[in-house]
Amino acid sequence: MADDNEVTRLLLNAQLNAWGLDVIAAKDGEEAWRLFRKHQPPLVLTDWIMPKMDGLDLVRNIRSHPLDHYVYVVLLTAKSEKQDLVAAMDAGADDFLVKSYDNQELRVRLREGTRILRLEQTLAEKNREIRNAQAALIQSEKLASLGQLAAGMAHEINNPIAYVANNLAVLKRDVNSVLEILAAYRGQLDQIRLVDPEAADALTRLERLHDLNWICDNTVPTFDASIEGLKRIRDIVHDLREFARLDEAELDTVATGDMIRSTLAMMQHFISEKEIDVTIVDESNPRIDCRPAALNQVLHNVLMNAIQACAQRDRIEVQVRESDNAVLLEIRDSGSGITDQDLPRIFEPFFTTKKVGEGRGLGLSHCYGVIQDHGGSIDVKSKPGIGTTVRIELPKSPPRQSAENGV
Amino acid sequence: MNDSLPALPPILLVDDEPEILHSLKSLLRREFTLHTAESGAEALKILAEHTIQVIMTDQRMPEMNGSQLLHEVNQVSPETIRIIFTGYADIKAVVDAINCGELYRYITKPWDPDELIDVLTAATKEFQRRKHQQLVLQEASEFCRHALGAGLKSDLCGEAKRLVDRIKAMNL
Repeated sequence: MADDNEVTRLLLNAQLNAWGLDVIAAKDGEEAWRLFRKHQPPLVLTDWIMPKMDGLDLVRNIRSHPLDHYVYVVLLTAKSEKQDLVAAMDAGADDFLVKSYDNQELRVRLREGTRILRLEQTLAEKNREIRNAQAALIQSEKLASLGQLAAGMAHEINNPIAYVANNLAVLKRDVNSVLEILAAYRGQLDQIRLVDPEAADALTRLERLHDLNWICDNTVPTFDASIEGLKRIRDIVHDLREFARLDEAELDTVATGDMIRSTLAMMQHFISEKEIDVTIVDESNPRIDCRPAALNQVLHNVLMNAIQACAQRDRIEVQVRESDNAVLLEIRDSGSGITDQDLPRIFEPFFTTKKVGEGRGLGLSHCYGVIQDHGGSIDVKSKPGIGTTVRIELPKSPPRQSAENGV
Repeated sequence: MNDSLPALPPILLVDDEPEILHSLKSLLRREFTLHTAESGAEALKILAEHTIQVIMTDQRMPEMNGSQLLHEVNQVSPETIRIIFTGYADIKAVVDAINCGELYRYITKPWDPDELIDVLTAATKEFQRRKHQQLVLQEASEFCRHALGAGLKSDLCGEAKRLVDRIKAMNL
């Protein structure tokens, strides 16, 4: 509140305080402008005619000052002509109160101001919410298209990686052969020198020029490093594909029992290696709507974990049960089990108990994502030394949008 | 092929990408006699002209895909061991192939070179084992026939025949 008349200021201050308003008083426009910038009050009540800076300039200053909230300005004045009102409103005042107003009039005008301020606040809040929601939406769309891009790239990169990796292995082997042959020739250098010393010297010079000893020592390590680097690229591409989950076919109806049997068939090699006794308990074969490739991958991961947890001649039991609208898969192994500390973390991405480089810790987190996409649930119970049970519950038909959301 | 070296087991590689075929050829030339084809049709032609112990085919090819090809191979050359190699994306196709074509193994692209040699070697061994068993079986049948002709006691012959049937039932 700004007024150069001390009495008016005191009276107004008392009155405004009585209405429960928190007042900052200024004796002229300049002080008002300074206090305004310091406290940034939402409501300004100012006299028009004041020394140093008048009310109109104060209003103009306030309006050109960037703030994150609206300021409601009421101009108090003795001027009462129509053009005065226009000038005040043009400068940016919200309201105009001619002096000799009574307290009641001031009260309702101020109430109007606070009402508008409240509305403005709600509006600003809503705007903020919309902006945030929009930002989140853009972010998720960006992620989705990034995922698609990554998966598409991964797919295209796969084939060249395949033959470049293979070629490197071939080159390493063949260069090794060449080096072996070369070593045999070098062994004969003394013989050559006897017959043709000039040719022998030329050969020696050539060897030095190209630093043949260095080549012999370093070629294989260079190949090894390249092969290792390419393997890392391959792993990254593989992870990208898994995360983008783009490898998935459209929804299809599959018989769960068949799916388990064919997954087991693919893993027969590992099962027979450890002579694991795998039984499918009561052979029911309920059909479900799902993304078969994704579910196969889940079964593969879960069964592979079970196999890896198993010692020689351990047991794995797979049970399929059916209710009205869901299928329950249980995979029980008599393997090493999971400790209490590890159990809560198994679905976290990058959590692994395998040695560095052996597992990237994405298997179960990927499974979890796939099961979620299908509107199902997966949980794991385990006792160290006794074994682990993985329960996967899947609706026979997944809720539409959740199954189709998988990018 | 080369008189001084022992004959290498013949295998057939099928992929529509020549770079892949070339790369595989360099890797495998020491262990196998290699035939390559860039399409299913070409592969079937080679199969008709040569005894192939193992066929390894890519899944994704235009016109005839890998599992379709292996289905054909199962008809025209059932003794050939069938392997599919494929990008990760084709697990469903692989499952189909396993279910209808009795696949020996599947190999994911990119493959591990050493592992690939091991798998293919094991596959040719499997072919030879089956072939050998077939021969033994044939010999046993022949023997039974001759024995019957030579007037061997018929209950002994019956016993031998039952043995042959049991070997047959092992589904070699």
